Amino acid sequence: MANTPNSALLAERAQQALELAVAAGADDARVHASRSREVEYTGRDGSLEKVKEATARSLSLDLWVGGRFSSHSTTSMDPARLRTFVDEAVALTRALQPDPHRTLPDPALYGGRTEADLELIQPEIDTLDSAKREAWLGELDAGLHADERVISASGYVGSTLSESAVVSTNGLEGSYGGTQLWVGGSATVRDAGEGRPEGSWYVGVRQLDDLPPLTDVASKALEQATVRIGSQKGPTTKTLMVLDPRTASRMVSRLLGALTARGVYQGRSFYAGKVGEKLFSELLTITDEPHLPRGLGSRPYDGEGIASAPRTMIGAGVVEQLYVDTYYGNKAEMTPNGGSRSNVVVASGSDKDFDGLLYDIGEAIYVSGWLGGNADGTTGDFSFGVRGHHIHKGQVGPAIGEMNVTGNYIDLFSKLVAVGNDPWPFRSTMVPSMVFEGVDFSGA
Amino acid sequence: MSSSRRRFLQGAALGTATLTLPGFLVGCGSKEAVAVASGAAEAPANPFLTWFGVDEAMLTRVLAELTGNGADMADLYFQYRSNNSISMEDGIVNKASSSVDEGVGLRVVVGDQTGYAFTEDLSEEAMLAAARTARAIAREASAVVPPQAFQTASMPNHYKLVVPWADVGISRKLPLLESVEAKARAADPSIKSVRIWWTDAEEKVLVANHLGHIYTDSRPMTRLWCSLTAERDGQTVSNGSNLAARQGIDWYTDESLTRLAAEAVERTLRLFDARRPPAGEMPVVLAAGASGILLHEAIGHGMEADFNRKGTSIYSEMIGKEVAPDFVTIVDSGVEPNERGALNFDDEGNPVEKTVLVENGVMRSYLHDAISAKHYGVKPTGSGRRQSFRHSPMPRMRCTYMENGPHTKDEIIASVQHGIVAETFTNGQVQIGAGDYTFYIKNGWLIEDGKITAPIKDCNIIGNGPESLRNVTMAANDARLDTGGWTCGKNGQSVPVSQGLPTVLVSKMTVGGVS
Repeated sequence: MANTPNSALLAERAQQALELAVAAGADDARVHASRSREVEYTGRDGSLEKVKEATARSLSLDLWVGGRFSSHSTTSMDPARLRTFVDEAVALTRALQPDPHRTLPDPALYGGRTEADLELIQPEIDTLDSAKREAWLGELDAGLHADERVISASGYVGSTLSESAVVSTNGLEGSYGGTQLWVGGSATVRDAGEGRPEGSWYVGVRQLDDLPPLTDVASKALEQATVRIGSQKGPTTKTLMVLDPRTASRMVSRLLGALTARGVYQGRSFYAGKVGEKLFSELLTITDEPHLPRGLGSRPYDGEGIASAPRTMIGAGVVEQLYVDTYYGNKAEMTPNGGSRSNVVVASGSDKDFDGLLYDIGEAIYVSGWLGGNADGTTGDFSFGVRGHHIHKGQVGPAIGEMNVTGNYIDLFSKLVAVGNDPWPFRSTMVPSMVFEGVDFSGA
Repeated sequence: MSSSRRRFLQGAALGTATLTLPGFLVGCGSKEAVAVASGAAEAPANPFLTWFGVDEAMLTRVLAELTGNGADMADLYFQYRSNNSISMEDGIVNKASSSVDEGVGLRVVVGDQTGYAFTEDLSEEAMLAAARTARAIAREASAVVPPQAFQTASMPNHYKLVVPWADVGISRKLPLLESVEAKARAADPSIKSVRIWWTDAEEKVLVANHLGHIYTDSRPMTRLWCSLTAERDGQTVSNGSNLAARQGIDWYTDESLTRLAAEAVERTLRLFDARRPPAGEMPVVLAAGASGILLHEAIGHGMEADFNRKGTSIYSEMIGKEVAPDFVTIVDSGVEPNERGALNFDDEGNPVEKTVLVENGVMRSYLHDAISAKHYGVKPTGSGRRQSFRHSPMPRMRCTYMENGPHTKDEIIASVQHGIVAETFTNGQVQIGAGDYTFYIKNGWLIEDGKITAPIKDCNIIGNGPESLRNVTMAANDARLDTGGWTCGKNGQSVPVSQGLPTVLVSKMTVGGVS
């Protein structure tokens, strides 16, 4: 159990609700008690636009009654109303049909929890005073307006302190918490025609000393807008696609969407029947790393209380395992392994960063941002809107946009031809720059 | 922790907004609408005040605290939301969920500055503490005299239910799920897996503002989703369909359940033969109904006045200008009966209306909340909405649609030499300033030589808002609203919306295809 400012209160609240559930007739139960405090400051064009500050709390209960299962949540902590809520929840559960696969996890899976300090919490982030936050907004605002073409720009400083405790009737006990500080901004600039291109840049950290200089953050956000000025409609072509660490992070996150026992069991995953097979380029190795110190996705245990552990999901292009939760693990006879992503890390594939990768390339299209689009998890077919730049002789060229990238995940990631060494650290999906060949772009 | 990060990331991309079909995001509430006009302090207790455990004297004290540093505007948004969902998989109704979410959001507005706090603890002590937090932003504001008496406003009801959801037990709901499941499973031997998801919700809202006005409402919502996986000759496909509205249990009839199952089956099986369309620019015919997604993305978000007030929308200087052919009239309405986007008043207490965005091709009005209406010196359009008491309101769409045009569907199809029909969608997104928008087609058709030929699937469409409006070259006389449910995301807040369109031809859009 990790001590956080309110862990004792939350553990007590969870235990009381668990006892209510058992008293109401639940055979088994699991309760999470959570609390989170958020403070958000938004500035625009030199003045404070919005300040929001609040503390939220909730209880969530999973109930097993006569082989039947249900889940519930409430923000009401009033003892009498909570008792009624739990009584009604248990009665509702009895009205369902029994499902033998709905069980609590095997308690053996609760064991072996990491004892390492994950450095997830820094109380100073929660207690940053308003003068400091406003001073930071001022710094961001100055940087965001460092171009006369700016129409309007907005800075953001936001923090959260989140804590939770969990208990279950089969021996689970735990608590942990974390802080996050997010800063950044967006700018809108004037273009020659009707368009008013916008750009943004945000970073999130768990500890103050990981925060990059705010002047860098602001100038990155402004640059994201100014590089769009004069953007032309891109071509319809089949060519190399270059992703920077931010756009690559989004793409890898999508790739993993169907990598679940749930999806495979329901016949809604292109990974069905592919575990153990080489599906992608051998340059692709993806690990799930729940114990990264200060990681935005780090956690000692998952939502079911199962102790987390590092795992290789894709190893040199081979699908090593799925994300398995208890229910679909029971159905598909697989061992639960955490159920969902923590930190996703794509291994570096070279000693080159984005610029180094470009140097090796002649002509290509660099995708610097995504806009909409979707994929079919069953088949892996995808189509996404993109904006970016021409790459000419290894150099980033003029801005282009209003294009789509269309293909299939299996095909795309088998055509991954280069991976950089420059993962984006400010997300829980940390991916270096990537280069793919033979990608379909549709534009003019 | 991860949830707060996700919440932030949604909100981070200021200037972009999304629309998604997959539900599970929003639920709202039920019961007959309330809105009984009452006199002043001596009137009988408002049942909503009783529900939230507050009285007028307490509201006065909290508003006094909230406006203690002065304000141009201040309000309290009390909300209770009870949500129930049931799911069925492998022929078993094997999971139910319920949630109760209750609290109050406290807002102080000075000029265009907003101070906001919320609490889930409705004790006076907790509300006073939240009021002190929210008012900190007010530094040189004009003094406010807190209201000593309140008047409850009377409003029309656009979603009156015969039986409120609170009075409907699970035993009445289960047969509906089982019926859809059986109909879908029996439809074709290739159907391998059927998943049914149900939700009903009831929401109680009470807004009290610094002028002494109280607005109360009960907002119902329900959705039934049928999701299928089918297998044929080693090929696996998945798709589905849903029904969603501010309706009660009586809305679900054998006929509507049969139609839902048939639609889910048809949309799924058609994928067996569907191909990816060719890539590049081509004419796109938007089928009547769900294609209203075009309006939502290409123009609707850009007409939300907060973006225009800040100069960050591509439509910032287009009021009064001709933006589309003269047969194009586009409306955003809060008064369409029982639609997801319907409201009896907006989340600031302003009356809702049918707002004409584009009239006969000319841009007429933005969508306003109270802050932007004051900025522009116009009446609010009843578009101030929020996801919950945890969020401050901003201008949002409600039910966005295009009126009938002069053409017919057959004329439109016949006019296209080489293009596609867009029929069902999963999601869309827009960049407000650049005007670029996208939406994703799940099912559609190829048009060759004026005739519908083969089914297509899974392609993204990208275009530029003002350009696409100019390129609306035909509109048919078959306008209708979509029966599926849509949820709109903006700056990290999700609200239920509706949309509709007649069959429309856009002469040129960029279709994400393969070469």
